[in-house]
Amino acid sequence: MKISLQQHIYFFTLSTGLLFTVLVGSILWSTQVVEVALEREQYANKVENHTNILKQLLINEDIYASDYNTDNWLVLDRKFNELLRRNPSLTPEQQTIQNSIESQNKNVQRLFNTINKNQLKNADEKIKKHLKTRLITQLEAIRSDTIQLSSIVQKDIANVIKQQIIFILSILALSLFILVYGAVKLVKIFSTSLNEVKTAFEKNRSGNFQKIQLSNQSEEFNGIANAFNNMNKELSETTISLESMTKIVAERTQVLEQLSNTDPLTKVANRRALFERGNDEFSRVQRSKNPLAVILLDCDLFKNINDQFGHLFGDEILKNICKVCTEEIRSIDFFARYGGEEFIIILPDSGVNAAVETAHRIQHALADHCITYEGEDIFVTVSIGICTVNDQHIDFENLIKDADLAMYQAKENGRNRIEVFGDSIVD
Amino acid sequence: MIIAVSKTPLSTPFYIAKAINSFDDTCVRVKYEQVIGGKSAFDKVMSGEVDFGTSSDSVIAFQSLTTPSFVSHAMFVQSDNDVKLITHSADNIKSALDLKGKKVGVTQGTASEYLLSTLLAIEGLTMADVKLYYDKPPQLLQAFSRDEVDAIVSWEPFVFQLLQGLDKKIKIHDTKSLSTLSFNLISQTADSQGVEKAKCVIQGLQTAIHYIASHPQAAKKIVIDELNLDPAFIDWVWPDYIFKLGLNQSLILNIRSQALWVVETQMRVSNSAPNSLRFVDSRALLQVDPGAVDIPLQIFPGK
Repeated sequence: MKISLQQHIYFFTLSTGLLFTVLVGSILWSTQVVEVALEREQYANKVENHTNILKQLLINEDIYASDYNTDNWLVLDRKFNELLRRNPSLTPEQQTIQNSIESQNKNVQRLFNTINKNQLKNADEKIKKHLKTRLITQLEAIRSDTIQLSSIVQKDIANVIKQQIIFILSILALSLFILVYGAVKLVKIFSTSLNEVKTAFEKNRSGNFQKIQLSNQSEEFNGIANAFNNMNKELSETTISLESMTKIVAERTQVLEQLSNTDPLTKVANRRALFERGNDEFSRVQRSKNPLAVILLDCDLFKNINDQFGHLFGDEILKNICKVCTEEIRSIDFFARYGGEEFIIILPDSGVNAAVETAHRIQHALADHCITYEGEDIFVTVSIGICTVNDQHIDFENLIKDADLAMYQAKENGRNRIEVFGDSIVD
Repeated sequence: MIIAVSKTPLSTPFYIAKAINSFDDTCVRVKYEQVIGGKSAFDKVMSGEVDFGTSSDSVIAFQSLTTPSFVSHAMFVQSDNDVKLITHSADNIKSALDLKGKKVGVTQGTASEYLLSTLLAIEGLTMADVKLYYDKPPQLLQAFSRDEVDAIVSWEPFVFQLLQGLDKKIKIHDTKSLSTLSFNLISQTADSQGVEKAKCVIQGLQTAIHYIASHPQAAKKIVIDELNLDPAFIDWVWPDYIFKLGLNQSLILNIRSQALWVVETQMRVSNSAPNSLRFVDSRALLQVDPGAVDIPLQIFPGK
């Protein structure tokens, strides 16, 4: 059964409260019992005193005297009877002694009456003396009874006090045990449960979504654990780790970057990528003073091809140029579509001769790799402008502009040619 | 261990002790031998036939004059209406004065003999003024039934039996003021072993007496069944009985005054009444219920 912490606390408080109520009740009860016992003892003492007075009267007075006045005796005896009638409540054992006292008192009265009935006119001194002794003996018997009654009452008081001390100590020990047990149990539930919740939070932080398993069941912590476990279940279903997320973002970024730097048709670097790389290379050349060359290619008569064979075929032509160029350049070179049917190759650490050589290789390769259209081989040529960096160039764009001038020079000079900016080489 | 128990409701604590097995919790195994009257019990104790007996204070008083070696360990009951003077109604005997010259049956050495002597003395008579007929209660009853005696002094339950069994009217005289008696547990003068045994018996009696106080109806039924008595009889005598353990000054005074009386009235030949304190031994009762002992400190040989 799951009991809430609140119920635990209520239970311990109520148990202890109940025990203390029993304790208070018991103390009140024992006070009452002792009071009754004291009343009984007082009664026994009164009876004893009165008996002694009666005895003294008998010893002192000549009850057989002709002029003996019984008034004193009768007054005392009446008082004595009154005292015995107003006896306190007694236990069966004490009641037996009370019965004995009453019985002895009746005998005293009867014997006194017998004696006083015409003063035993026929009796001799011996019997008179004997009866008087008997009367005193009866009173002595009452006195003994009162002493016995006192003794029983005192024993009762001692017993009640002893019982009460044992009872109070037992109740206190029990209360203390319940309090300590309750406190230890609550502290244990609190500390263990809090530790378990804390551990679960720490595990969550490292992405380990585990359930809280409580060692001690309590409604409150069970509620927290259930809420946490439900939350964890949802989190484990919807959350991925930061590491995975970074990896995914990096992959996606790479894809996006690739997409933004790639020409969708030819799958080679686009104009944006060209300028990014070109600017970097230009900057590097400014620092290192190494050579840098740029080749600008333009497909000859491309408009005619489009018009004659269609745009789709034109696209195939462009893809073929890209394929050829990519194969013919070095790994450190950079090939990009500049726009329309224009392409640029950046050649780091290359002078004019290396660039011209590359341009030649491309021209030859294009001549070797024609494209078939409806069974007919279609050959394309490119006009190539080459420019190497010099002190006049202020940026990469400036360099391209000169390469472009060289390429126009090639066009003007008859196409399928290689022109170097600032040179008069004609192939 | 054998106890001679007088066949009278005064021995109720013994019957109860047996019925509720209160001796089982003590250190002795007890067997009873039923006798008629405390004098018979006394004789059996002194002959060594039994270890303990139940006897009235009158028996103790009489025996203290002739037998020095016995003690009472505890008084366990008292009654003010057990011994009675019975006469035939037709004889019109109003008081002891009218007994002069009559034949009166008593049991020698018992409370009945003592009561008769005091009743006579109050009227200025002595035992010599009546014709004494000594016998045990059953025989006295027969003698009275057959008109062989004019009066008898006997105790319960014989008086009640007479009342029930006799066609003729009888008169029971009011002798309450003079007929108080107590019953005691007696033994021969006890050594420490005897005291130990007495302690065990008293423990059983104490349990029984507590039972009587707390279960009076059940106790009455046990006695009725044990003594085969008429319930009406028990109802009649029960209020007169007070069952409690005690060994007090009044018992000693009572024994002494009765013994003195016996000597003075020359019922027995003796120089003087002995020291009555010799005939009570408080050692056993002091161990069981010290509050019930109210006598001067006793010194015993070997202690």
